[in-house]
Amino acid sequence: MTVAEVSTPPCRTRQVPGQPDMWFFVLFESLIFTSYFCVYLYYRAQHEAAFLAAQSQLTLWLGVVETIVLLTSSWSIARCVEQSRNGRYDVARRDAFLTAGFGVIFLILKVVEWVRQIHLGNTFSSGDFFQYYFFLTAIHLVHVLIGFVVVGVAIHQLSSPRRRSQELVETCATYWHTVDFLWVLIFALLYVVR
Amino acid sequence: MTRRSLRDNPKRELWLAWGATVFFYNLYAVVFFLFTHIQPPGQPWYSPDQASTWFTEHHHGLGIGLALIFVFGGLSATSIALITYSIRRMSVSRAFSYSYLIIYSVSAVPGFLFICVALTAGIMRPERSPQLQHWLYQLGFLSFSGTMGVFLIGSLIWMCAILLDGNRVFPKWFGYLNLCNALTEVVVSPSWIFKTGVFPWNGLIAWWIDVVIFGIYTGVFITLLRSMIIREDFGTGPLPAVPAWRFWQSPVETAP
Repeated sequence: MTVAEVSTPPCRTRQVPGQPDMWFFVLFESLIFTSYFCVYLYYRAQHEAAFLAAQSQLTLWLGVVETIVLLTSSWSIARCVEQSRNGRYDVARRDAFLTAGFGVIFLILKVVEWVRQIHLGNTFSSGDFFQYYFFLTAIHLVHVLIGFVVVGVAIHQLSSPRRRSQELVETCATYWHTVDFLWVLIFALLYVVR
Repeated sequence: MTRRSLRDNPKRELWLAWGATVFFYNLYAVVFFLFTHIQPPGQPWYSPDQASTWFTEHHHGLGIGLALIFVFGGLSATSIALITYSIRRMSVSRAFSYSYLIIYSVSAVPGFLFICVALTAGIMRPERSPQLQHWLYQLGFLSFSGTMGVFLIGSLIWMCAILLDGNRVFPKWFGYLNLCNALTEVVVSPSWIFKTGVFPWNGLIAWWIDVVIFGIYTGVFITLLRSMIIREDFGTGPLPAVPAWRFWQSPVETAP
């Protein structure tokens, strides 16, 4: 290997943002959630009247607010990636903090919604619909909690000139978008589909 | 391969451990699915009389199958050892490998030995009252499915080690697959609450979907352990790459 070859930076022909490995996770996790949705829709079709009656007890506007909050968080993490690409790391870091902030708001709203349902007498074991409701929203919330760690990694990367891996920042953003994407599907299935 | 070359092969212990791992998981599948019918699990809503009948109906299969598990179950240690070895080969702290080793060693007890003990106690004393047989039946299946959470942290430790590793022992996508597997350990926990529907210990979500994911995960990690042994150079730096893997690696990782 010649000196010229050693000093040449690696040629990057990227096809997707971030690590391609994270897209494997997106695909696999989407398949898993798709299987949950198929099970939900199958049982919903079997007991349509009971599911509709239970569904009517959900607070639609709260679900809408949660969706808007998460979509806004996706916008802020997208801004974070854009600012990082342009070398404006301080602004990118602020956007990452903003994303985590929206995530916290979503978390609070979700807990408020759960408490409200429990006060109405709707718990994890009080009927088929609420089994799926608590399961899907809880497993999604676990993804949001993991998302805080992921956004923390992005903030850590952006905080020091010694790190600042654009690939890692984009990988973290991909994860957060996945969490958002899964929520939109859950929202549509649990709150909107009649 | 001649006897001499086998003796001189520095990887012979690793291959022995890998072969034992393959043998254990195949034995596990055959015994749990075919001999004993522990998988798919029995019905969670069985009455004491039905549980007692279940023991009687499966007496021979349970007896032979669980005896095989008691004899060969210790081979589960080989997969834990190989995975611990793989983490030691990474550029991360040894704390990861020690934590993994301890967690998985402890987890084997609720992970599959508890159910073997409970069900063996059920078939070996069939004259026991149906209520006690029912208790053993529920203890067996609940301890097996309900305690999957003990594997959660172990999977996350392996995931963190892979993602932080600079020696390319495993591809990063496998680190993320560990996260998918860890999340299924959470999904199975409602089996403590439900007896019918999709969340009990034999439910569509709590068991069937999870077992498919676990099957894929197990097949993948056994294959990747084999690749690791092939690539092992007994050094401390990055493992040599295998061309087929480059498809999964980002250009930055494959760059010199």
